[in-house]
Amino acid sequence: MNPQYASLLIALPLLSAFFVPVIKAVSKKAVMPFLVLVTATQTGIAAWVFKEVYTTGKPIIVMAGAWRPPVGIDLYIGHFAALFAFIVAGISFFMAVFSWRAIKTEPVDKYAMLLMLLMLGATGMMATGDIFNLFVFMEITSITAYALTAYNKTGEAAEASLKYMILGGIGSSFFLIGLIMLYGATGTLNMAQLAQFAGSINPTVVQVGLGLIVFGLAVEAELFPLNAWAPDAYQAAPHPVTAMFSAFVVKAGLYAMARILYLMQSASGWHNVLKLLVIMATLTVFVAEFAALRQKDVKRMIAYSSISQVGFIALAFSLGSSIGVDAGVFHMMNHAIVKGLLFLTVGYVAVELGGSRIENFRGLGRRMPLTALAITIGSLAAIGVPMFNIFWSKVWIILAAVKANYAWAAAVVLTASVVEAVYYIRLIHTMWFSGGEGERIRENLAVGTIALFLVILILTIGVYPNYFWAVAQKAGADIFNVGQYIKNVPLMGVGS
Amino acid sequence: MISVYYFGAISLVLIGLYAVLVKKNLLKILIGLDIMESGVNLLIVSIGYINGKSAPILSEGIGPSQAVDPIPQALVLTAIVIGVATTALALSAAIIVYEKYGTLNIEEIRRLRG
Repeated sequence: MNPQYASLLIALPLLSAFFVPVIKAVSKKAVMPFLVLVTATQTGIAAWVFKEVYTTGKPIIVMAGAWRPPVGIDLYIGHFAALFAFIVAGISFFMAVFSWRAIKTEPVDKYAMLLMLLMLGATGMMATGDIFNLFVFMEITSITAYALTAYNKTGEAAEASLKYMILGGIGSSFFLIGLIMLYGATGTLNMAQLAQFAGSINPTVVQVGLGLIVFGLAVEAELFPLNAWAPDAYQAAPHPVTAMFSAFVVKAGLYAMARILYLMQSASGWHNVLKLLVIMATLTVFVAEFAALRQKDVKRMIAYSSISQVGFIALAFSLGSSIGVDAGVFHMMNHAIVKGLLFLTVGYVAVELGGSRIENFRGLGRRMPLTALAITIGSLAAIGVPMFNIFWSKVWIILAAVKANYAWAAAVVLTASVVEAVYYIRLIHTMWFSGGEGERIRENLAVGTIALFLVILILTIGVYPNYFWAVAQKAGADIFNVGQYIKNVPLMGVGS
Repeated sequence: MISVYYFGAISLVLIGLYAVLVKKNLLKILIGLDIMESGVNLLIVSIGYINGKSAPILSEGIGPSQAVDPIPQALVLTAIVIGVATTALALSAAIIVYEKYGTLNIEEIRRLRG
């Protein structure tokens, strides 16, 4: 098949989102099946793209309107984008199935539309090769995320959404200022050409521009001073949406940050920006773990845990070494699976028992054994117990941090991981060993299957990490090796 | 000497940021965000300005060499639309907040805490 069909990754969700009102006019019951169908098709396309990129070893480059970059916008679907388009589509498909059961508030059609656009925005952010296009996809992602946060129409949901919007508004303005500074200095918006020019820009402009971009993306990527919206939004958003936030919306922001940083690696003053990011990332891990310790609401607790894991990824990306980037990508992949599972199961418990307070989890081991087992395995994986997938990625990140002479950062994040173990084990204890009455609840077949699938995936990666580590290394090289990136993009002979 | 356009645009951004950080009323914060967005948009347009050239519409007497940089104008068009969408969404959320809480003071809108 013609590789240009990879543009369907963007086109299909967009077209389908426009068709939702038509479907709704025919029958309201058809909206949710349509959503599941579209996300399943998207997963199929993404799997094909993944296979294509990983077997040929060459990135797929889609040129919009057949204009060669830097004149036209190009989609660069390399190893990283192929892997994450697949993860984004897969998690969206699972959450669409879960939404069928979990979303009862009206209007369902708008929910389906926003979910497709969220998937589109995240895929676009990972795939694009143009920084202004990145900004547009980022805004698609964040505006749909604002709307989905407020979807429940309660006061809390609107409050969380407003916090997110205000921080997101500041962040996107700063990102735009940084972007326009880089444009003013180089006269190009194409990432490959920008990387070519990076060495010759005035170091002050690079530092201020990159600093603003990092600061702007830190809102989306939940880094320390700008992540106050995240726990509120995670708590107030519908359950499937929470899982999607944690599994890929954050990842898209982190990826964009890493991509732009590594594009500019030949610029002078680059290491100062990295140092800033190391400090932000370490603080993120530390603050979030301690905040998670004192939560009474399980969903909020896992939200804080998710933020701290994101800090781990940001730390790995800011080390400036190839092994760090590989480890970061591996952790992104593992974290998407584990947090997808945790938010799915916790959300499912909240749907069945009405709320995710810790009291509802008492004696869950007897009432909903399969779900409780899935939560247990997800928690153990999140702590980083050996035999589970996150063990490997945490070990790699810490090794990379020590190798890059950031032993203090490694020590801080390790200490924080001990705290993480405390609250997860408390949750496991509450579920299995503290009494609590109530009869057994019949578990939903579809949700159980998805949870079981993710559990098996966690165990597979935990026991046989080699294949997945090889995939992560290829994807990491896609970000780190900018020389190869420039060579892959068929730039018109302008300026070079 | 810094150009008056850059100075004005950056001051608008800073005024907006000040309003977001200091004001207590939700609507004033949203106005601050809007001011900030306008500042950014002005900055984008002024980056592309070349002294003494005309609008980038090619017609009789105006060739490609007599026009200002057209790219920032395309960028700003996108950014304006995005800003308006965000504002509309934020205002509708503010309406819900006012209905449920009965106040727009951000110090009293604090039901979510952990």
